[in-house]
Formats: sequence, structure tokens, C-alpha cells
Amino acid sequence: MLARRSLLGKPGFICRSCVRQCQSQLTRAYSTSKDNIYDVVCVGGGPAGLSLLTALRANPVTSGLRVALIEAQDLSKVSSFALPITQFSNRCSSLTPASAQFLDTIGAWTHMKRERIQDYHEMQVWDGLTDARIEFDGQPSSGAGKTLAYMIENLNLTSGLLKRLEELGGVDIFDNTKVQNIDLGKETEEMDLSEWPIVELSGGQSLAARLLIGADGANSPVRAFSGIGSSGWDYGRHGVVASLQLEGDGWGGEFNKIAYQRFLPTGPIAMLPLPGNHASLVWSTTPEKAALLKSLSPKDFIAMVNAAFRLSAVDLGYLHTVPEGQEEELSWRTQHTHINAETVPQTVVGVQEGTVASFPLKLRHADTYIGERVALIGDAAHTIHPLAGQGLNQGQGDVQSLAKTIEYAVSHGQDIGSTLSLEPYSSERYAANHIILGVCDKLHKLYAVESGPLVPLRSIGLKAVNALGPLKNFFMEQASANGSKLL
Amino acid sequence: MEAAIPRIRAVAAAGQTQLLRSAVCATCASSSSSSSRRHFSVFNRPQPNYPGHVPLTKIERAGLAVGASVMSFFDPYRHDLIAATGEATATPYFIYRLRDAMLADPTGRRILRQRPLISSKTLSLPALRNLPANSVGRAYVGWLDREGVSPDTRSRVRYIDDEECAYVMQRYRECHDFYHALTGLPIVREGEVALKAFEFANTLLPMTGLSIFAAATMKRGERQRFASIYLPWAIRNGARGKDVINVFWEERLEDDVDELRAELGIERPPDMRDIRKREREQKKRLQELKERGF
Repeated sequence: MLARRSLLGKPGFICRSCVRQCQSQLTRAYSTSKDNIYDVVCVGGGPAGLSLLTALRANPVTSGLRVALIEAQDLSKVSSFALPITQFSNRCSSLTPASAQFLDTIGAWTHMKRERIQDYHEMQVWDGLTDARIEFDGQPSSGAGKTLAYMIENLNLTSGLLKRLEELGGVDIFDNTKVQNIDLGKETEEMDLSEWPIVELSGGQSLAARLLIGADGANSPVRAFSGIGSSGWDYGRHGVVASLQLEGDGWGGEFNKIAYQRFLPTGPIAMLPLPGNHASLVWSTTPEKAALLKSLSPKDFIAMVNAAFRLSAVDLGYLHTVPEGQEEELSWRTQHTHINAETVPQTVVGVQEGTVASFPLKLRHADTYIGERVALIGDAAHTIHPLAGQGLNQGQGDVQSLAKTIEYAVSHGQDIGSTLSLEPYSSERYAANHIILGVCDKLHKLYAVESGPLVPLRSIGLKAVNALGPLKNFFMEQASANGSKLL
Repeated sequence: MEAAIPRIRAVAAAGQTQLLRSAVCATCASSSSSSSRRHFSVFNRPQPNYPGHVPLTKIERAGLAVGASVMSFFDPYRHDLIAATGEATATPYFIYRLRDAMLADPTGRRILRQRPLISSKTLSLPALRNLPANSVGRAYVGWLDREGVSPDTRSRVRYIDDEECAYVMQRYRECHDFYHALTGLPIVREGEVALKAFEFANTLLPMTGLSIFAAATMKRGERQRFASIYLPWAIRNGARGKDVINVFWEERLEDDVDELRAELGIERPPDMRDIRKREREQKKRLQELKERGF
């Protein structure tokens, strides 16, 4: 069955336009012809969905599968992503070396704009109330200068993946297309699709999927269709993002970039290096404060960001209550605040116009990642607080695992859509993701405490971890997903 | 004989310290002639952070705190010792907390930014005397006149290392007389202790809290009155009211003192002078009755 499907696959792809023409003449309701039967239908063309399809297409074992991609946005805009090197998109992600390695394995890394990716080698994290600090730099065991992570614009990543997919070919892409409905198929004389999900598209087509992939984000329609619940909570915080310009290339110079994160009582603020004197900001804060930040003039917004890495929590609290004049307040307060300039990021001098935006932060974890002929990956399966920069990497981990699971099923002649074949994916990823979700959640809660005995205790803990080399290495390896697996 | 021994010992001890002092002073003078006499025990004292600053080591600070507080307990008129106690016990934490309370308030921030000083030079006392009877300025100057004090008697802060916190202490000290005017408490020991209790609840400065121990040196009747009326008033109003350190007194001189009290959420305590007067009269009457033989 599978072999036949794969043979059918290629001609189906070539005749895509013809197929569409034919379809428009047919009645809409579940008029699934054989041409609309796919091995893998992926809903969602974000980093997770695109990586999965690329991984499947790049692997000779799975490249015979007939695959389709459904994406609501116009992907031609994504693949033609081109900004001048002086401008950066405000949505950036941190890719761990493990994720970067995986992207390289599937051949996508070379398609990304390398000059827009910034690796960093050091990370400084400190407590906004007590100044207790932890430094991560190249693991001493493997020599200095080891890359901790790569900062990449999400658009650069998806555009690189799309280019790789175009190079590989063989994917039916339905972009600018929304999923209207997902339901089970019907049993006809020709074939029995009663246990197959049929995806009805806004363009009128309906695709039957041997395996339906939900890579469709936090409010996943695929998850809703499959009746998989998800639990979690909203943090009542927004992540404010912006693309910034600094006064220089960073304290470590061009080749030794440093990421900074300061835990403020409202949430962590992170300054992540981009090429040259550019940097990406992620500031989790309350929705009211996020609204104020977005309403500020550029010079006051810049002052606020500088203040957030330098001034006391009391000063910051006050600066959030005035509608303007932050720049002046900052210049006064810096005279009375003792700061070692090299322990905080270089002064921000500019904010790229139109890049100040915010999004709500939440924690969600699907009850399971798999159902009959359904698998969830990326944000559809889990949504995480961005404080450890793990969101995208968890998605890449899912993709790696699911691609391996599908490869195993194909090479052993199993039905790739059955829960039995998908089980290894779920068992490999669920607990691992759950631990990361939990750790980030607890970190957020620990540092949201403003006073009381927890404040000195967490500082002692942080200093202790900083002083204990092996323990620090363990955390670092876990965060960069290089370490030995916990589960 | 027995009585003589400690005396001799004391003399010997005095002689020893004298000797020690002169010996150390010689080395002190030879190593750095510029450092003053009081610094004889530390050879490498850091530069002052602001004019008049005297950097202290932790031991010196603790010694100062204990010595000055014990001495001022026995002699409450040594306002220099009370001031020194205040400075030595303000760190760690307390003065920073008070500074943060100012930083969190728009007026408090303005005060910290402008750093106004209160003295007879910055405040025109004759002009204050011409203000309406119920104004803050008139209450203040009336209080100064009645108690016979001047705003210039406040000494400079010396022992607080952070120069901004030193100003906060200075401001607290200079505003102390305004707190008297605000609460109407007199500078007799009883009134001073009640006001210190109020200040402690409001500013949390340890010196003001330590001053409450001075209640032990008051008369029995005063102490009872303090425990039943003024201490509960002080704690209730000090803790509930707004931070009085954040009042920009210089700008509020013409305002009505009752309105300011209402704004700060502070109720006026029973007039201590009235109570004391009434009690004195009562006592006198009792005395007279006794003399008449009843």
C-alpha cells in the first residue's frame, strides 16, 4: 500500500494545477479522489512544520512519502525574505548547537543567510533584586569559545527551510490556505477512509492524510480535531520584543558575543546578540507595563531598556508610572547607581522603527502528542515561557524524533499513521519536554517573588551553582541539549 | 582598701590608653600626616564619598552604634550622640529602604533630585510668622519659637557611606522639627519619645525605635500615658499614614496643617501639653486639699 502510494506520489505533484482544476468541478463534500490522498499532511508552515517536511524529504528512506503542506500565510513572501543587513526582524529565536546540527543534517543550514545569524559564546544572568549572578561561557572541558547558541531571525530560519524544500521538491504546498474543517473520511466502494482524517481547505480541496501533523501553533485546529486536550496557564505577562542598536559590537568584540538576562520581579529581560552592533530584545512584563513600553517615544523606550539592565527595581517601577521623561530620569539615576559597565550589555543607542511589539506568554502542554493518524509537534504540543530560549529547540527536538519514528515505521513496513508506530515519538519527547516546561515555569515563579526569604535563598542558590563547575556544566549541557538524556 | 583597688586599676587603665594613643598617634602622624586624630586605628582609610564623610569599618560602626546609643540613653540631651546612633544603625538595609520609599514616590524623587536643605537661610522665619494661623509654616515656626530651637542646630551626616543615603538621613533629620509641627508633640522627653515611636513606625529607622527605650526613664504617670495613648497612636498612624519623608515641606508651608494631616492619613494625637497641664493642676489641687487637712 505504502509503496504504491509513493509511486503515485510523484506524478501527483507534477499535475498539481491539473488536479486543482479537476477538483473545482467536483462536488466539495469529501470528494476525495486518489490524488488527494497523502501519506503526510502537515498543517502549519512554521519552523516545526517546515523542518519536519524537510527532514522527511531529505531522508532517502522517507523521501518516497507523498507529503502536503498547508499554511495560512503566503509562503512566497517568507521565502523571498530579504532585509538589508542594517535591519533585523523582531522575532528571533535561540538555536542550540544540537538544533543547528540537525538543521545542517537535513541540509537546511546552508540555505540560511549566515551573515544574519549570530553565534554567542557567553551568557550573563543575574537577579535584578540582589545582583547575584551566574556566568555561562564556553565549557571548560571542551575548551574556550564554544558556541552556546545561535541567534536567528525566525523568518531567516523559515525562509532557509523553504529554500531547502524547494530544492528537494516533492511537496504539495497549499499556502494562503486555511483549514476549514477536519473530519474523518467515509467508506466507499473504492476505499475505506473512515479512520482517516480529511482536511477540508478554504480553496475547496480536501486532503486525506495517512498521518496528519499538527504544527499549527498554540491554538492548534489539528489538536482540537483529534480531541487532545491541553493544560496549562497564562502567565499574565507579555513578551515585549524589539530590534535594537548598541553603541558597539559588544564587550567581547565581534567574535565573542555575550547574551544578557536580568530577572526583574515582573519577568526577565534579555538582550541577545545579533551581527554587528545589533541586538534582539525580549522583555517579559505585565500587560499594562508592556502597553506603556509600546507607547513610549523611541528615546524614552531606549532609556527604559538601558534602565532595565542597570537601575534598581524601585526606579524601574517608578519609570513605568510616567508617560514620558524616562531618558532624563535615567541620566539622573545612573549618577547614583553603582554599575560596572562591563557586567551589563552595552548602551542601547537606537531602536529599529516599527519593531516594538508584544505577545502574551503562556504555558500549555498537550495531554498527548499522538492520536490515531495524528501527531502534534512544536507549539501545537507545548508552549513555553521564553526565559530559557527553549521553545524553538523543543520543536526541533520533536521534529528530529518524529522524523526518526516515521523513518523506522517506513523501513519496517508499518503504517506510519497508527498510534503503534507513533508511540516511540511520544515516549521520547513527552517527558523531556515536560521537564523543560516545568523548570522554566518554576524559574519564572521563583524570580517573580519580590521579597521574603526566597530572595536571599535563590541568590545563594544561584551563586552556589555558579561556583560549582560540574553542576553548572550539567545545567548548561541540558540547556543546550547536548547533555546526557535525563529520561 | 577594697574600694581603692578598682580606682587604682582605673587610673592604670587610663594611663595605658593614654600611652597607647600617643604611641599610635606617632605612627599615624608619620604614615599620613593628613589623616585626623580620630582615625588612629585604621591606616588605610578610603577617600570620603562626599564632603564631611567619615568612612568607618564594620567594627568601628558597631562600636559607635553601641557606645552612642548607651550614652544617649543616659543623657538624652546629647543630640550629637543620638544623631551618631542614627547614622551608625541606619545601615545595612534601613536607610536604603527609606531611600527606596522616596524613589517610589514622585515627590520623594523630586526631593532627592533637588536635595533641598532646611536652615534659617533657606527658610525665612519672619515670613513664616506672617502666615495664617493654621498653616504648616506657622505651625512650624510657632513650634520653633515655643520650644526655643532653631533649624540650624542639625549637624551634618558623616557616617553613612552612600552619599545619596547620607542626604536621606540629613533630610529626615532636618524634617524632624516639621514632624513636631505636624503632630503638635512637644520636645519634652515624653513628646520626643512619642514622636520617635511615630517615626519608627513610619520610617523604620532603628535609632527611632531604640529611642522608645527612653520610655523606661520617664516618670510612672508619663509611662502609663505613653503606653495607653501615645504608643498606640504612634504605631497606628506611623504604619498606616503615608511616608512623611516624602513631604516637600518647603512647598507646603502655606497649606493648611489639618489638610496636610488628612492627606497623609495622620490623626492629631491628644494635646500632650494640655494633658500635662491638667494633671499638674489636678495634683496641685490634691496637694491643696491635703494641706487643708481633708
